[in-house]
Amino acid sequence: MLGFSRTKWVGVERPGENVYLAHGILEDLIYGMEIDVRVEAPEFKITAVEGRMRRTTTPECPKAVPVLQNAVGLRLGTPDLVSTVNRKVGREGCRHFANLLLECCDAVIRCALFDKWPGADESGAPSREEYLRGQLKDMPFLKNSCLAFHTPDS
Amino acid sequence: MILSYVRNKHATALDGPDGTVMARALVEETSFAARVEMLVSVPGLEITSVEAAVDRCFAGRCRDAVPLVKKAVGLRVGPGIIKLVNGEMGGTGGCSRLADLILECCEQVILRFTVDPLKPIMEKQGEEMVEAYKEFLARNPRLVNSCIAFAEGSPLREGVELEE
Repeated sequence: MLGFSRTKWVGVERPGENVYLAHGILEDLIYGMEIDVRVEAPEFKITAVEGRMRRTTTPECPKAVPVLQNAVGLRLGTPDLVSTVNRKVGREGCRHFANLLLECCDAVIRCALFDKWPGADESGAPSREEYLRGQLKDMPFLKNSCLAFHTPDS
Repeated sequence: MILSYVRNKHATALDGPDGTVMARALVEETSFAARVEMLVSVPGLEITSVEAAVDRCFAGRCRDAVPLVKKAVGLRVGPGIIKLVNGEMGGTGGCSRLADLILECCEQVILRFTVDPLKPIMEKQGEEMVEAYKEFLARNPRLVNSCIAFAEGSPLREGVELEE
């Protein structure tokens, strides 16, 4: 028997060259919530966030909605983003909101990372490795963050 | 407006006939697709097996991180597991996306065992529900300060005597 099920969905819009709007939805057996986050480049700073709780567990949970504003001003490239969001949005508010917010932030980073990829078939297109190396100049916080971004010279 | 990026993540916990829990997490997004499946023993909540696959990735090197998921075998789903999983499977030589899917599986296991005690509480109303939550909190002191509902000053915490 299915004991638990959770689905998260994030879509990222680009209404302007330096603006990312992420819409995130979390639905599981217990919780249902949504978040809208605005992130502005090149700082990758959260400039606005709104959230709605559709299904919660306790009568106190809706008090976590305004706590989301603690995320405004955070930069996605800071090394302690996850712990800061988990503390300032999660523990002080709702940890499922924090989880969804981090999902939105990560999707924005991936969006920015692959946005300029011209496609391998384009004439003069860089190799994928070259492309990633080039993107690290705009997003230095990704350097050495994983196997794909490991730069032996660092 | 056409979306520039899309992520779909789905995770489940299934009760096995032998009393174990099978957790699965998969992500399908514009630049990446991967899945993790793990078996967890009950009541010890020890991870007894993990399988993973990267179905799609931008940099082929990502697939080199798949064998690292085996390092999760033997870990217990409980306090400290986030740091352990990120330390063993994330970072420079690993894949934060696979580590994340393992942690999604762990979260499903925890939530699976949260549903049953929550059900009778959520069927109550008003003061009856508040009292039921106080009893729940007294039995689960790890939840103190875990969120705004169980923070200092919350009516759900008022008068609750917590075991040391």
